[in-house]
Amino acid sequence: VSVDGPLVLFWVFAVGAVLGAIATVTRRNPVVAVVCLVGTFFCLAVEFLLLYASFLAAIQVLVYAGAIMVLFVFVVMVVNRAETEPFWHVSGPVTKLAAVAAVLVLMVRGWPALVAPPERQAAVITSEFGTVSGVGQILLGELVFPFEVVSILLLIAVVGSLVVARQHHDKDRERESPAP
Amino acid sequence: VIPTENFLALAAVLFAIGLAGVLVRRSALIVLMGVELMLNAANLTLLAFARARGDMRGHAIAFFVIATAASEAAVGLAILVGIFRTRRTANLDEVNLMKH
Repeated sequence: VSVDGPLVLFWVFAVGAVLGAIATVTRRNPVVAVVCLVGTFFCLAVEFLLLYASFLAAIQVLVYAGAIMVLFVFVVMVVNRAETEPFWHVSGPVTKLAAVAAVLVLMVRGWPALVAPPERQAAVITSEFGTVSGVGQILLGELVFPFEVVSILLLIAVVGSLVVARQHHDKDRERESPAP
Repeated sequence: VIPTENFLALAAVLFAIGLAGVLVRRSALIVLMGVELMLNAANLTLLAFARARGDMRGHAIAFFVIATAASEAAVGLAILVGIFRTRRTANLDEVNLMKH
């Protein structure tokens, strides 16, 4: 029996990613959820490698599993409230119907697309494919304008989150203890 | 070579789990994590099609998605901290100031 190594890797890390994702959305303790999500992102980074996306796999580990999840951990430390209510108590019949309808639509419309035979064209995978060099050529060549827009978006997000999250000392003091 | 459909199916499952988390959970943190999960599923789809077509522009778009997700997480968590500071809650059902 010949073992298809990449396929085995795919299944191992696919199962890991799905289990981690399920654990993430079902944990009551947000710290556990964050750790499970980090595991999911690591599994996804391996899947990215199997797709020859080495640059994106590195970015996935550095930015997602690193920076974004550290941000989550910091906020968990501030907002440390485990959920006490049951999960499945959804708001009302309309919400329940909408959820069931959404799942049905997804299954009916999505399934044929998943199992349909895709067009088999011989994709050329060059040695540059997915590397920093290859992706960088596109990011700083054809897509340089969106690239710069994203950098401005990040700047706006940083300034905006500082403004939103910073303590408004003077206003708070006025509200809590009005002038006598 | 792993078939592209495998990656698409994995992405669909992850997206569905993330969507369920966003719809069902009331902890704002877990909802944000569900959003991140859905964005990652979309990235996986982009990269799967990029490999199937031998076109690296999908990688560039996935890169933009990651950058946008980072700013989304930063702003969303800042709003969450702001809400928690004034209302002492992270429960999305209790954040209904704009309704009344």
